Amino acid sequence: MMKKSVPLIISSMIVLLLVSTAVFAPWLAPNDPYATNMAMKLQGMSAAYPFGTDHLGRCVLSRLIMGARVSLFTALGVLAVTLVLSMVVGVAAGYLGGIADLVLMRACDILMAIPHFIFALVIVGALGGGVWNMFIAIIIVSWVGYARIIRNMVRGLKESTYVQYAKMTGVPTVKIVKRHILPFVFPQILLLLLIGTGSTVLLISELSFLGLGVTAPMPEWGMMISESKMYLSSNPMLMFVPGAMISLTVLIFDWFGDTLRDAIDPKMK
Amino acid sequence: MLAAIWGVTLVSFFLIRLIPVDPVEAYFAINNLPVTEEAIEEIREEQGLNKPLLFQYGLWLMNAVQLDFGQSFLTKTPVAEELLSRFSVTLGLAAAAFFIVIAISGIIGIWSVVKQGGLVDRFTRALVFATASMPSFWLGFVLVYVVSLKWGILPLMGWGTIEQSVLPAFTLALGYIPYYIRLIRTSMLEEIEKPHIAFARARGVKESIIIRRHVLKGILPALFTSLAMTCGGLLGGAAIIEAVFAIPGVGRYLVESMAARDYAVLQGFILIIGTLYVIFNFLADLLCAIVDPRARLKRGDI
Amino acid sequence: MKNWFTLILVLLVGVLAACSNTEKEQGNSNSETTGSDVLTMSWAKDIGSGNPHVYAENEMFAQAMLYDPLVTYGKNGKIEPALATSWETSEDGKTYTFKLRENVLYSDGTTLTAENVKRNFDAVLENSAAHSWLEAVAIIDHVEAVDELTVKVQLKEAYYPFLQELTLIRPLRMLADSAFLEDGTKNGIKAPVGTGPWVLTDYKKDSHAEFSRNENYWGEKPKLKKVIVKVIPDSQARTMALQNGDIDLIFGSGQLAPIEYQTLAQSGQYETKISDPLSTRILAINSTYGATKDKNVRLALQHALDRKTIIEHVLNDLEKEAQSLFAPGYPYSDISLDPYQYDTDKSIELLEKAGWKLEPGNEFRTKNGETLTLVMPYNSNEQVDKAIAEYIQGAWRELGIDVQLIGEEWQLMIARAKKGEFNLIANDTWGVPYDPHMYIRTMAGEQQIGYYAQKGIPTSDQLTDNISKVIRSTNEEERRKLYENILQTIHEEAIFMPISYRTNYLAANKRVQNLSFSMQQYEVPLNTYEVK
Repeated sequence: MMKKSVPLIISSMIVLLLVSTAVFAPWLAPNDPYATNMAMKLQGMSAAYPFGTDHLGRCVLSRLIMGARVSLFTALGVLAVTLVLSMVVGVAAGYLGGIADLVLMRACDILMAIPHFIFALVIVGALGGGVWNMFIAIIIVSWVGYARIIRNMVRGLKESTYVQYAKMTGVPTVKIVKRHILPFVFPQILLLLLIGTGSTVLLISELSFLGLGVTAPMPEWGMMISESKMYLSSNPMLMFVPGAMISLTVLIFDWFGDTLRDAIDPKMK
Repeated sequence: MLAAIWGVTLVSFFLIRLIPVDPVEAYFAINNLPVTEEAIEEIREEQGLNKPLLFQYGLWLMNAVQLDFGQSFLTKTPVAEELLSRFSVTLGLAAAAFFIVIAISGIIGIWSVVKQGGLVDRFTRALVFATASMPSFWLGFVLVYVVSLKWGILPLMGWGTIEQSVLPAFTLALGYIPYYIRLIRTSMLEEIEKPHIAFARARGVKESIIIRRHVLKGILPALFTSLAMTCGGLLGGAAIIEAVFAIPGVGRYLVESMAARDYAVLQGFILIIGTLYVIFNFLADLLCAIVDPRARLKRGDI
Repeated sequence: MKNWFTLILVLLVGVLAACSNTEKEQGNSNSETTGSDVLTMSWAKDIGSGNPHVYAENEMFAQAMLYDPLVTYGKNGKIEPALATSWETSEDGKTYTFKLRENVLYSDGTTLTAENVKRNFDAVLENSAAHSWLEAVAIIDHVEAVDELTVKVQLKEAYYPFLQELTLIRPLRMLADSAFLEDGTKNGIKAPVGTGPWVLTDYKKDSHAEFSRNENYWGEKPKLKKVIVKVIPDSQARTMALQNGDIDLIFGSGQLAPIEYQTLAQSGQYETKISDPLSTRILAINSTYGATKDKNVRLALQHALDRKTIIEHVLNDLEKEAQSLFAPGYPYSDISLDPYQYDTDKSIELLEKAGWKLEPGNEFRTKNGETLTLVMPYNSNEQVDKAIAEYIQGAWRELGIDVQLIGEEWQLMIARAKKGEFNLIANDTWGVPYDPHMYIRTMAGEQQIGYYAQKGIPTSDQLTDNISKVIRSTNEEERRKLYENILQTIHEEAIFMPISYRTNYLAANKRVQNLSFSMQQYEVPLNTYEVK
């Protein structure tokens, strides 16, 4: 057991490090991430600018650190809202069954039938760009899958003997759900969502890359990639660094999810 | 299933109309032409865009049932024709990506179960996970830059030859590989612990036969369900890849049609994709039932 | 179990077979790209179906390759013969009579006639709602074929830029009779058959188009035998294709990012060229919205704009500094105005005068508790526009001006502009052969960017009055006076900030020679290019 938890401790430390980087970004950034200085544009690495400067002479490292805020805060916000939304819908559909279930599941089918990317494109198109609308769009496309998984889990639990027993003895529905259903469903879904956080970070960067996400001059990794695309032949580092940050973040969350799962449910390993 | 398809028609028709700016205004905007309200009204009238929404929906639905999706506002050619020529390209890309996903994740997944914890297993898995965490648009550019431009091994862009399809298919596939490795791995491990496998082992059946005959068969239902889901994702993900590699596929066309607010094209596309998805899912359930009759009861009520 | 593997195998074989089929198709066209008198160029979009009388999805450069106008636009706006060899204007400016060139052959072998020209005009008039922006179409009363080679166009009112607008790439160019559908051209054409120097000989949508020299062309025939246009949507991919030898030429404004052009030019391995000024890159200031209603604020912004830095660092010297709305050399545009110099002290002085004060402890200026905020939408897919906007935001922050950027997709940005919800917005003038009258004219039309720019100024009524007068005037001297007056007002009210004159630029392999540019921004003068 002890041996199992070593990777978990390491990975959660790294996640903590990442999150605190985002939280304390304004104090950690060596320079003002918004300050343009044309005389210093496209500089290489130096003591003042550890990762050099971009096409407007802004400090790349400071923008990367500030960019962690956008990516992580949005991703974690999505995680929280998705968790609540999918729990409510999934449990309602699974436990109540009948027409509620039918309607909700058909709605899920339809939502899932349209590729996420297109859905997000339409929603951002309808609402306009900006972080907030991107946030809403990502939630709309991501909650459905989880709701479905929860619903199936709840259906399984509903048939279990203790729930049946509780029902027969007249325990109120709300109490049954609270006591027998949620404690089982919650950790599993949290786990799945944590693993899914990596792909949320990817989706954020994808939308920003297409110019649908954040608005300039807010530093966001996907947008930094699209800005530096034209400097690929002259300054390849500009494009390399934010891409590496994205994949590092995704990797860290994937790993964290994996180790957490192993710790909770050793059978899965 | 029919109810779901009907729902898809509703979504594809009304969702598009939620986006601000209609096709007539959009047409002048992409041409950068100043135009009066009267002229816009006149063309709207001509196109039937000022009729009640429900009437337009009914008309469109009636035609769509007969596989007539109307004509593109921009090119005046039938939507079905426009989509079909591009679908074939995207399907080719998705199929190639699909093949790579199955091949790589199959090999690594099975290997990781058979030779659990080996050095090679760990290394390959780490490598695959690392590449899969990279944003596909970024990876696409890096690959083009390094492999095509610096090394000159594969063609830069375009579509049609097998060499041209390697990089884009690979880029598209990478994101899905870890998911499938994980899926194959966990479901195989689950399967291995089942009593009939232990029994076979006890009987002294060869390990390779156990894996092939029992374990692999056991994971097929899970695999089919996921594959059906992945299809939609592959088609969606293709849009970015197509832009990076200059592939004339449906994803790129969709982004262009979105910019022009070409209703007929967008509606037709979402309807077709949605319907295909619903059908794939249905088929996946069917296949599962055939492979594993026990599943019929479990899945019948979903 | 085995059955499943067989099934998968069969599917895979099917896919591979499908792939190799298309390979054969592609193979044929590829082998032709390597000839000695064949030029391969890239273009960002598919060229479209080649209908001369409609707009998108058709690309203008391709329409210009296939079709000819009656008259063309020469140096400094001189109208020169094309399909018409001579023309006459009636005294009242309402009747134009064109004498057509003899023995002009369409690529299907038929001859250009007055009847055919009339049919083209009628097809365009049929679709008048789509052309409502273009006065040259709206003003036509009817067209007559007087004899075999004489066409008479009757206007409803006098319109001095009529000939100038006939030189446009679309919609008034000539299509052969055989290509018309029953209902004209608004719903498509049968085939792109024109009299132009090139004939479309192969076309695969979104992939490539092949143009061959028109051996029957009435003018000087192209030196190249073939031009192949490959569709490559991404500018970085275009650059790589040029470096790789897949294409010989990248041409046009915006087809390369400034830094990409500069990198190619500095490498010394490519032929690179920049054209003379075409249109003007401007920032329009909304005189009806928020802080910019105040003329002093507009003047302050004029003095706060550091063009030199933008041109040197964002545009990499690809474009020339602009001091006036239209580049010198445009018709009626050579008037002397005193340009606004970059002078932040003066700018601050003007802001103070307008009441926007910087309170201690504040980052931005305020007036009666309100912050000096300027709303500036930009097209989120335009990296250059975005960089300019970001630069301005950063630079003006030091003056205490809060520029609020809104990155939006093009359509949404236009919708916002139509509602007038902006203080500053990037806009281009129309360029040759439209200007100056086209850009000026949009200022009088409601919901246009130029309209919001002038609507809030005290002399707005007089300005719009002059605009409607100038295009109707038949007197050269009167027009000159009116234009001078209009441009004077625009300058004094500080409603447009010219940044730079846009240019076309190109990068080509060393084997491509005789490179040049056209007068028109959207025309590629491939006729004169040669390949060694």
